[in-house]
Amino acid sequence: MKVGIPKGLLYYKYKPFFNTFFEELGAEIIESPDTNKDILDLGSTLCTDEACLPIKVFHGHVEKIKDKCDLILIPRIMQIYKREFICPKFCGIPEMIENNIEDLPIITKAPIYLFSSDKFFKWAYETGKILTKNFFKIQKAFERAQNEQKKFKEGINDKGYALKVALIGHTYNIYDTFINMNVKNKLNKLGVGVITHEVVDDNVKYLEIKKLFKRPFWTFAREYYGFISYALKESLIDGIVYLSSFACGIDSVIVELIKLDFENVPFLLLKIDEHTGEAGFDTRIEAFVDMLSRRKRGNLA
Amino acid sequence: MYYLGVDVGSVSTDIVVIDENYNVIESIYLRTKGRPIKAIQEGFKRLEGKFKNSDILGVGTTGSGRHIAAFLIGADIVKNEITSHAVAALSLDKDVRTIIEIGGQDSKIITLENGMITDFAMNTVCAAGTGSFLDRQAERLEIPIEEFGDYALKSKNPVRIAGRCAVFAESDMIHKQQLGFAVEDIIKGLCEALVRNYLNNVAKGKEIKSKVFFQGGVAANKGMKKAFEEALGMEVIVPKHYNMMGAIGAAILAAERKEKRTNFKGFEVADINYATASFECKGCSNLCEVAVIKCEEKVIGYFGDRCGRYSGKVAV
Repeated sequence: MKVGIPKGLLYYKYKPFFNTFFEELGAEIIESPDTNKDILDLGSTLCTDEACLPIKVFHGHVEKIKDKCDLILIPRIMQIYKREFICPKFCGIPEMIENNIEDLPIITKAPIYLFSSDKFFKWAYETGKILTKNFFKIQKAFERAQNEQKKFKEGINDKGYALKVALIGHTYNIYDTFINMNVKNKLNKLGVGVITHEVVDDNVKYLEIKKLFKRPFWTFAREYYGFISYALKESLIDGIVYLSSFACGIDSVIVELIKLDFENVPFLLLKIDEHTGEAGFDTRIEAFVDMLSRRKRGNLA
Repeated sequence: MYYLGVDVGSVSTDIVVIDENYNVIESIYLRTKGRPIKAIQEGFKRLEGKFKNSDILGVGTTGSGRHIAAFLIGADIVKNEITSHAVAALSLDKDVRTIIEIGGQDSKIITLENGMITDFAMNTVCAAGTGSFLDRQAERLEIPIEEFGDYALKSKNPVRIAGRCAVFAESDMIHKQQLGFAVEDIIKGLCEALVRNYLNNVAKGKEIKSKVFFQGGVAANKGMKKAFEEALGMEVIVPKHYNMMGAIGAAILAAERKEKRTNFKGFEVADINYATASFECKGCSNLCEVAVIKCEEKVIGYFGDRCGRYSGKVAV
């Protein structure tokens, strides 16, 4: 059986798990290509206009591989951690895809709860039985896939730059170099290193959010806030660059929270949407880096 | 001895010549009209007779077209608009704390402390209140844009106009016109709406401290200046060369360089026949739109490819 894996949304975070799981079940994996103009165009034509760019791009990835496979992974990720949530669009993504794209092969629809192995296995079983009748094979594939995921080192931590910024944003905005116009590369070229939140341990982030008046509702909010709070305390960063998809509801809350609580820290908000012209992006990044280096040197000229 | 600053913006291309004391000797304001090369050449034609190539000790470019401009004329420094605007304002008054800049397609706020940029923001995806929008409204009301501000100042009872978005503002204006409100009251109302939009949008969360400079093309509009002063409750200073500040900043940055050699290609650039074309690169799935600049059938430069496959190997 050919299993299609669209390179969008949380693919960048969970690719070791999903690839291993399906491979162990004897499937041939068909990954969509890296995001490109064609995928972006397909996605924005197929998807409803109100959705954010990453959701549109995901549609493009599905469209690109739907004719080449018998099953497509559409991960309905409900929760990553207990008592926390992620974007509601993830809960409804199979329905969005079904209603927007015609002539689909089978798609995976079972919900994914990542915080407990038992709950997560329910997804593995529901999905695995499409490929095999052998329960133990599914169990084994699930275990191997989880091990592969554990080995996966996430995050960026550049070394050897005079300036360093926290690059904040959802996984699919940070690691998709097409939709973010390779922002890491742009920063590196200007002599600025990048560090992302995955580098700092989750337990540390939990400690940092204790000062908030309540536990954040969103997983992403806890991760980003906790990371920034820690990175500033340890003087790991000179500023914050936040990559946000236009119209992202979660970002609208996190951005304000960060701006309010870390008032005097240089902060650059980069909005990404369908535009591919880089001039606006470059201007903001250059000006921000200018500001950081002048701040550090302590004079304007 | 002079320094040249060129600001290629979306709406206008500004060229200034400053002396070593940063006095503006010559300033040229041109409409870009989507053809930055033509605009620069037009400007250079006017400068050709007045200055010798050897008079120019340094060249700086800025604006969204700064890279193409730098390439064309041989710039010594290429700077983003934010830094350039701040440098120009600080050269006039080192106590400036806030710069409101509204140009053709974007608006920005820059906050400074002790002569250093501490924060800045630009409009994200909304162009309400920028020069292009005001231009369009002036045209629709059949009032020359230069007189727009004077009309606003005549108003006694400004009408409330929705300022959240350019489309809403326009339809609201039309409805108020249909009801028969005086045109000056509508224009003043529009200025107030745009100031509201700017303060809630671009300047959101930024503390605006005096002295406040208002620069960029829209600063010509006295109605906007007045509306800012009323909303902020403080004086707003419009510098003499408000619409040239980017170019002035670029020229100053060129003058501040330690290096004394210049890459300036000379005013003859005005007489060269450039042609531009574009194509879609099929090298990878990104399908970048690449712009090509040709001089007498010979390719001299490429822009727009993400990987540098073309722009990395410029012939000149």
